[in-house]
Amino acid sequence: MNIYLLQIINGIGIGMLYFLMAVGLSIVFGLLGFVNFAHGAFFLLGAYACYQFALAGLDYWLALVLAPVIVGGFAWITEKAFLHRIYKLPHEFHILLTVGVALVLQEAVILQWGIVGQNVAVPEALEGVLILGQFVYPKYRIFVIAFTAVIALLLWCLLDKTRLGAIVRAGSESTEMVSLLGIHVTRIFSFVFALGGATAGLAGVLAAPLRGVEPFMGVEALGIAFVVVVIGGMGSFAGALASGLLVGVVQSLMSTLWPEGARLMIFVAMAAVMLLRPNGLFGRT
Amino acid sequence: MNASFLCQYRHLAMAVATVVVLPLVLTSGSLATEVLIFALAALGCNLLLGYTGLMSFGQGIFLGLGSYAAGLALLHLRIPLIAVLPLAMIVGALAAALVGWFSIRQRGTYFVMLTLAFAQMFYFLAYTLRDITGGDNGLLDIPRPPLEILGQRLLPTAGPWEYYTLVAVVFVVVFWVLQRIVDSILGRTLLAVRDNEARAAAAGYDVRMLKLIAFMISGAITGLAGALHAMLTGIAPLSNIEYGTSESILIMTVIGGTGKLFASVLGAGFYVLVGDWLSTLWPRWLMLLGMLLIAVSLFMQKGLWGVGTGLLQRVRRQGRADDTATQRSAAYD
Repeated sequence: MNIYLLQIINGIGIGMLYFLMAVGLSIVFGLLGFVNFAHGAFFLLGAYACYQFALAGLDYWLALVLAPVIVGGFAWITEKAFLHRIYKLPHEFHILLTVGVALVLQEAVILQWGIVGQNVAVPEALEGVLILGQFVYPKYRIFVIAFTAVIALLLWCLLDKTRLGAIVRAGSESTEMVSLLGIHVTRIFSFVFALGGATAGLAGVLAAPLRGVEPFMGVEALGIAFVVVVIGGMGSFAGALASGLLVGVVQSLMSTLWPEGARLMIFVAMAAVMLLRPNGLFGRT
Repeated sequence: MNASFLCQYRHLAMAVATVVVLPLVLTSGSLATEVLIFALAALGCNLLLGYTGLMSFGQGIFLGLGSYAAGLALLHLRIPLIAVLPLAMIVGALAAALVGWFSIRQRGTYFVMLTLAFAQMFYFLAYTLRDITGGDNGLLDIPRPPLEILGQRLLPTAGPWEYYTLVAVVFVVVFWVLQRIVDSILGRTLLAVRDNEARAAAAGYDVRMLKLIAFMISGAITGLAGALHAMLTGIAPLSNIEYGTSESILIMTVIGGTGKLFASVLGAGFYVLVGDWLSTLWPRWLMLLGMLLIAVSLFMQKGLWGVGTGLLQRVRRQGRADDTATQRSAAYD
């Protein structure tokens, strides 16, 4: 099979994970008005939760369901215990607080599981490759693409079609007005922060069998999620999807053409988009 | 005249006092030097965060590039020390101009994200160009030439305390220049940008240009710190340009307190000295640092400086209350 086609499909898989990271960041930003620097740490927790489930001999599918719930719970506690108290302060302090939370979580991961990276086995049912005539491709990667597509659809429905989604969207326009309408905005804040954490955790679980786990993968994922958001345009669902895929495919193709520079090219792509469209591909001007 | 002079240069006086006191309380010259070097980096960060309202997660770029510039110049070109320091400043300022030109077009949170994205970009750039930067290993065996002007040896730098003297002189000069900048019209205008950007723009100031200038000054100072660090350790490692360095510089600045110059020296001193002490006890001491950062965000937004001045005020008020109490009792007697 053509190596480039293979890399493009690989890129779509990675890109869907980047999209999942970016969309959580984007929802939280839209409502709360600051970037969550602990987002990468939530991704890290999700990945290590997957590793721990595998270590304990538990099913991957259990991890897929439970890990996002656990990580979402962590996010919810972070919001309730800390962020909740300082919404009145400038956004700098919200960012710093999440930086602090990220540092604590990262060090806790090192304390618990060590600083050395580990491999995570692909779940049994998805081992091996899918063969369709000329087309040969690992089953797990196909699963990641299909599963994240379903999650993307669900998230879109949640945000676009439900009453809750309408409240969240209205809250990003004017929090004050929404709370004047008699809606408990603080509860919505907690929910959205937890939802953002859960999506990052889910991305972590899905990524763990692809790339293994190591304590610094959170920071790396955070950087890439920022790039995706910057390229796609802040607060745009379609933008996050398009730029997630773009970044994934660029990284994947470049890893064939110029392996050392694959990561670098992601950021070059960002600079190029910044030059041509400062507000991102789908950003509102 | 003396009182107002002292008041105006209170922070500079404290900086000079720090330089004098550090050798008296520390036994390790390189540790004392490290305090001053990171104080320089924190000062650069403070100029952005405290005086211009820009939160930069990209200060590691300038520190790392300063290290690489100094390392390459000393290893391959063998240029004298007196030229290495300005070179590192120019490299830092140019990198800041580039990063700033992209990032400053965006505001608020967007700006913060861009600085981090650029920090990652420069990290991967340094990692990729291993022929120049040495990749994972970094640049090794960087020499530390003595300070010479036209063949005249002014200062030896071989010993740790000799090098400390050089860094101390550089530190005090930079601190003085920064104090002048902060007190100048430029400094006041930057404060206006920090407090109300729309208003400053409406008043006719070129806000982007002002931010870019602040960014370049900050980049130059941080690049200088990077060069001094490379000469201190004799290496220019990849970790100097990592996200972790950017994060540390920001954390030092915030823990010290923003918007006051000497606060950055406090923050850097606290970070380096407590870090040095704790890291021998517990390798995961960064966890405590994360908790401290959470505490600063929650309870002490003005940092150590704010805690210090708060305590001082309380003591003074107490003293005044005691005075009036004794006066009253004296009157009754």
